Amino acid sequence: MAKTPRDRKGVVSSPDLGLLKPGKYYLQGNQACIEGALMAGCRVYAGYPITPAVETMEYASQRFPQAGCRFIQMEDEIASACALIGSSWGGAKAMTATSGPGFSLMQEAISIGVMSETPMVIVDIQRAGPGQGYITASQQDIMQARWGHHGDGPIIALAPSSVQEMFDFTIEAFNLSEQWRTPVLVMAEETVGHMREPVLVPHTDAIETIERKKPQDLGISPRDYLPWGHDTVAPMANWGEGYNVNFVALVHLEDGNITKYSPQANYHCVERLQRKIEGNVREIARIETKFLEDCKHLIICYGAVSRTGMEAVIEAREVSGLEVGYIRLVTPWPFPEEQLREIVGEVNTIFVPEMNLGMMRHPITEALRDRCRKVVSIPSLGTLHSPEYILSKVREEVS
Amino acid sequence: MKKHPMLKYLKEEGPLGPRMPLIFCPGCGSGQVLNYTLYAVDRVIEEDGISKERFLFISGIGCSGRITSHYLNFDSAWTIHGRALAVATGALLANPQFRVIVFTGDGDTGSIGGNHFIHACRRNIDVTILCLNNGLYGMTGGQHAPTTPIGAITTTTPYSNREGAFDLCKLAETAGASYVARWTTAHPRQVIKSIVKGLRKKGTAFIEILSQCPVHEKIPATTLLKQFRKNTVPFSKAGELTDGKTLIGEFCDVERREWNEAYQEIIDQFLIHDGGIDE
Amino acid sequence: MNRLWVDERYCKGCLICIDVCPKKALRPSQEINAKGYILPEESDMKRCTACGICELMCPDFAIAIEEAGR
Repeated sequence: MAKTPRDRKGVVSSPDLGLLKPGKYYLQGNQACIEGALMAGCRVYAGYPITPAVETMEYASQRFPQAGCRFIQMEDEIASACALIGSSWGGAKAMTATSGPGFSLMQEAISIGVMSETPMVIVDIQRAGPGQGYITASQQDIMQARWGHHGDGPIIALAPSSVQEMFDFTIEAFNLSEQWRTPVLVMAEETVGHMREPVLVPHTDAIETIERKKPQDLGISPRDYLPWGHDTVAPMANWGEGYNVNFVALVHLEDGNITKYSPQANYHCVERLQRKIEGNVREIARIETKFLEDCKHLIICYGAVSRTGMEAVIEAREVSGLEVGYIRLVTPWPFPEEQLREIVGEVNTIFVPEMNLGMMRHPITEALRDRCRKVVSIPSLGTLHSPEYILSKVREEVS
Repeated sequence: MKKHPMLKYLKEEGPLGPRMPLIFCPGCGSGQVLNYTLYAVDRVIEEDGISKERFLFISGIGCSGRITSHYLNFDSAWTIHGRALAVATGALLANPQFRVIVFTGDGDTGSIGGNHFIHACRRNIDVTILCLNNGLYGMTGGQHAPTTPIGAITTTTPYSNREGAFDLCKLAETAGASYVARWTTAHPRQVIKSIVKGLRKKGTAFIEILSQCPVHEKIPATTLLKQFRKNTVPFSKAGELTDGKTLIGEFCDVERREWNEAYQEIIDQFLIHDGGIDE
Repeated sequence: MNRLWVDERYCKGCLICIDVCPKKALRPSQEINAKGYILPEESDMKRCTACGICELMCPDFAIAIEEAGR
């Protein structure tokens, strides 16, 4: 990291070099993401320009060298995602940001990251699809986040709803990826990416950063080291530390042997990836709730829609006298099915407003179908739902 | 029992079982290239005092890709088809001190990895690329590759190949690599010398090694090696008159700024030096 | 006299070593081993100069020459 900041004219709006000093800053969502990454200890950004994630890249190209870190514009999104794997195993926390079309290209590398248990952070500033779609906001990649990479193996995804959360959740994404040795996605929308809001940056002492477990710290010698063993989350030796780590993404034994294939070895290798995340949903997944005690209906949202969803709930209760409850999936993945079933009692209707034609409504229906009369999807393409729009759909259904 | 001198650099066994023999077919050039590479690495470790920990072997997919899989007693990565250079770029961003060797094939480099290949050369990142060129896709059964000669019969050109072939060395040189050479597995000492040069060179070294595939060619390895000696001619001797033979030799050996070195200058301008703030 | 060592676990009988030996000190065995390979064996090791070409060109790290008196 740079030793002390120095003013340099004409480069960025940040008044300081290195890490931001504690204070209040007026930032764009995409910029806040980068500041959070630097706070979390990210040392490498490898990306490719795509609207609406371009500002993350441009801002990173300015801020990363100021903080002694490295930025590179790669030749395509595939190269960007692969560079993250190389950087992570080379010992550096690494990230990239992209949007739908680029996210599709990265899926093979994400799959490799899942299998090899590589900590890496990918930010998807979602735009309308399919195809080139448009550059307005959407939540159309939320299923691809979980199921887009080929093969089994779950993933962790966070959905920020404000510029402050772009800062906070990016730090959390790095922490989760290091703690669970997995790629972590920050599923933002163009709305949040391009929004400008004040961000409160705390003192670095108040920010918790998590580093990957190392075999050196656990007293495991290179001879006895199992790169994918020892524990639910294996300690991770990086290249250059004398552990002679053979990175592989083929079905492997815990020591990295890829010759002794058998259906049992295959099951063991892949099932433990599943169990590592899905078996720890309670620790990983976060839900926010409000007004659940007496609610007759429920609105479940995630990402930017959470803000207008909350507004709609408040208006429904205060103006229309409807007893509506609110649940926000802070981490859409891993999906907190058990926790939802624990906190949701009998309700009449569950509404799921999404900036897509209805995607998270499926696992929600699977989890809560028996707790309600009906699950109703409230889609909005090309624009963020307004509270009035959500409320009108609720009233329509309820009356 | 006396063991092969380079076995000290391989993992004959892991904690959960044996890893050798190598998976390659009898007489495959991949094993030979690994052998030559280890001789070269051994020389750099002994003569230049570079520690073993600094070396990093990265490969893509294919028979050449299997060289890293789980054999090397070094840090290594067996990555995805065509993308070894992107992973290598990332590793060097994390730690510019790595001495990176990339094993790749003609399909891995020239087809799916084409974009990463030319950009790695353009950036002149500090890697030594060993491109094992057997003129086809071996691992998947012998399909034609962007380096298959015109007229060849392969499993996807059953009526003879009509597409032209890349000259990967020319591509590398044009894209900006600082060291470009072509040899064959029948030229072990030249290959080793070039790999040593590549490891010592700060920048992209691209070494194409014509490598035999006895299984898909259906010709014994010993014969193919003899053909390599017969059908090639050193660049330094032939100039442009090649008599239909393949040019081998060192095509390019220049000094160019390496990527990480150039980027460090950007980082350094933001650092405070002793005595106060930089102006 | 130098001595030839062939590791039966690794040798795949490609016979490159026999072919490249400049002194013709090796020859193929008359027997096929359990894996179905024909291994190299000593033909006339008095001729072997421990030049190391067989070790250099072996694709399987299966051959080693032990120099006499070492």
